Amino acid sequence: MSGTATGRTEAPASEEPDFLEVRGLHAGYGQARVLQGLDFSVARGEVCAILGPNGAGKTTTLRALSGMVRGRGSVTLNGTELLGRSPEQAARLGVAHVPEGRGTFNDLTVEENLRIGAHLRTGRRNRAAVTADLERIYDYFPALRRRSRQAAGSLSGGEQQMIAIGRALMLRPALLLLDEPSLGLAPLVTRELFGIVRAVNEEERTTVVVVEQNAQLALDIAHRAHVLEAGRLVLSGPAREIREDGQVAEVYLGVSVRSRKAG
Amino acid sequence: MNTIVTALGTARARRLRAALTVLLATAAAVGAPFYFAPFQVFQLTMVLLYAVALAGLNLLVGFGGQISLGHGAFFAAGAYTAAVMLDRYGTGHLATLPAAAAGCFLLGLGFGVPALRLRGLYLALVTLSFAVFLPPLLKRLEPVTGGSMGLTVDKLRPPAWSGLAEDQWTYFVVLAVTTVALLCARNLLRSRAGRALRAVRDNESAAEVMGVRLSLHKTLAFAWSAMFAGVAGCLYTWVIGFVSPDSFGFVLSITLLAGLVVGGLASLYGPLLGAAFVMYVPSVSQDLSEAAPGVVFGLLIITVMFVAPTGLAGLPGRVLAAVARRRPRATAAPPGPAPGTGSAPEAEPGPEAGSGALTTLTPPGPAVVDAEPVGAPPRTEKE
Repeated sequence: MSGTATGRTEAPASEEPDFLEVRGLHAGYGQARVLQGLDFSVARGEVCAILGPNGAGKTTTLRALSGMVRGRGSVTLNGTELLGRSPEQAARLGVAHVPEGRGTFNDLTVEENLRIGAHLRTGRRNRAAVTADLERIYDYFPALRRRSRQAAGSLSGGEQQMIAIGRALMLRPALLLLDEPSLGLAPLVTRELFGIVRAVNEEERTTVVVVEQNAQLALDIAHRAHVLEAGRLVLSGPAREIREDGQVAEVYLGVSVRSRKAG
Repeated sequence: MNTIVTALGTARARRLRAALTVLLATAAAVGAPFYFAPFQVFQLTMVLLYAVALAGLNLLVGFGGQISLGHGAFFAAGAYTAAVMLDRYGTGHLATLPAAAAGCFLLGLGFGVPALRLRGLYLALVTLSFAVFLPPLLKRLEPVTGGSMGLTVDKLRPPAWSGLAEDQWTYFVVLAVTTVALLCARNLLRSRAGRALRAVRDNESAAEVMGVRLSLHKTLAFAWSAMFAGVAGCLYTWVIGFVSPDSFGFVLSITLLAGLVVGGLASLYGPLLGAAFVMYVPSVSQDLSEAAPGVVFGLLIITVMFVAPTGLAGLPGRVLAAVARRRPRATAAPPGPAPGTGSAPEAEPGPEAGSGALTTLTPPGPAVVDAEPVGAPPRTEKE
């Protein structure tokens, strides 16, 4: 949470710079072709931000990675092709997608929501590990521990977003996809959430791809960033450079990224 | 610290109240057949067996978010499985129960396949077609099913050691099966598969990205649901000792769904209340209006849905909430909610609590028994 304004300096040293590799990704809905050939890669343990205006194809990119929409081209995670798989198969390969709008299971309790995240981790041997992970999630999100037996639908938007992230972490994901985690949340809550995402990334070395409208926030936690416009990448680079190149960001993102070099 | 103590207190109080409720319900359920007349005991038995069917339907509709207008067909399949086994092969009653359960489970798996592609009204129509085509099919398969004459089989006979009358013995057997079935349904919902099922109802795509296989869990919901309906059908054969195609018209399917909605969707004891409604209300409406009992039945459904849109099971909660809203906060505690919360759960699990009030309205006339021992559905069908 603290020091979000500093941004992240170095990408983590990784032997696998192409942990997630996206080549020539095209995707769309029916006649509407949204993605027109994306190329980027994410190193293991890295936080990658995908920025851009409304309708640029940010959400579609994540959906193509998790199998929620069909894509053409190639997306490999640790060498395994992801395209052409169902969302359930992608989850089996370690892709955890926190969908836009959180996807809360309203009538299930908070704990049941989290346990759905561990749906694939069956068997006796996993039982203890799942319980331990549940505790770990509650350590990240103490607010959820207090409400573990409440219906998830009765919680606030911020808490529901915590559930969504916690649920995805219960999958022990190789790749965590976050779609607009700040949507509809108060700035303070959003900051807290992003701080936790950053902590998760640091402690568990989870590779994260986060899609955000709020470029400032996303750039604070990201190592690298890509700017999408009309289904194409128009700008890629280390998050810090994109942050500091205020003019470029303003042109492409349509928002003003205030650089806070002062102080 | 303080809050923890109070939380522990309320948890303990809740557990105590739950234990008390179970105890009272058990006492009422066990005592009922010695207190009521044979016909009333028969009616209670029917309530219990309908509750099994409704609990199954609840898995599919209430917790699975799907719909079935064809559950009468699974009920009939269970009933005929038992009847044919008893009639043709002379197996004991006990052997028919697992056969009906397993058979209907498989049948449900098969019929669950359309549910993968269809939803809402389309699924309702397809499932309705099961219910519509089944009676003619049963009539055609005369060598096995006895055609439109149906099959008459042995009812349950009390063993000598029990010293019980036939209606009492039947009641206890059905009570035991119902208890086990309802507990199974409850545990199923709390298991991993049940959690996945409810997650799919709440948010299909979010469940899918968490690795829940939609096709598997939707089909399984159908299969389990059909299994419960089949068990209920099997019990029906044990209790009535007679099956015919006309006992299982499509009105039965619709009545089951109506009963479930009236009782309370996605509620654990809603099926019991719904079963009582299905069992008693048609005969009550018969008394209120000789000419048009169907109209009265319909009006009663409308009334219940208007007063308790979440079903009868949700009524106590709604009443309490309304009372709490009316009262200023300070005075709310002592007199109001305490008796309310006390009586509400007690009324839930035992069908007797609901039926006791209703049976006073139902004249146990022998004429009614002879005319229609089947209960709700055929009566409405006569309209």
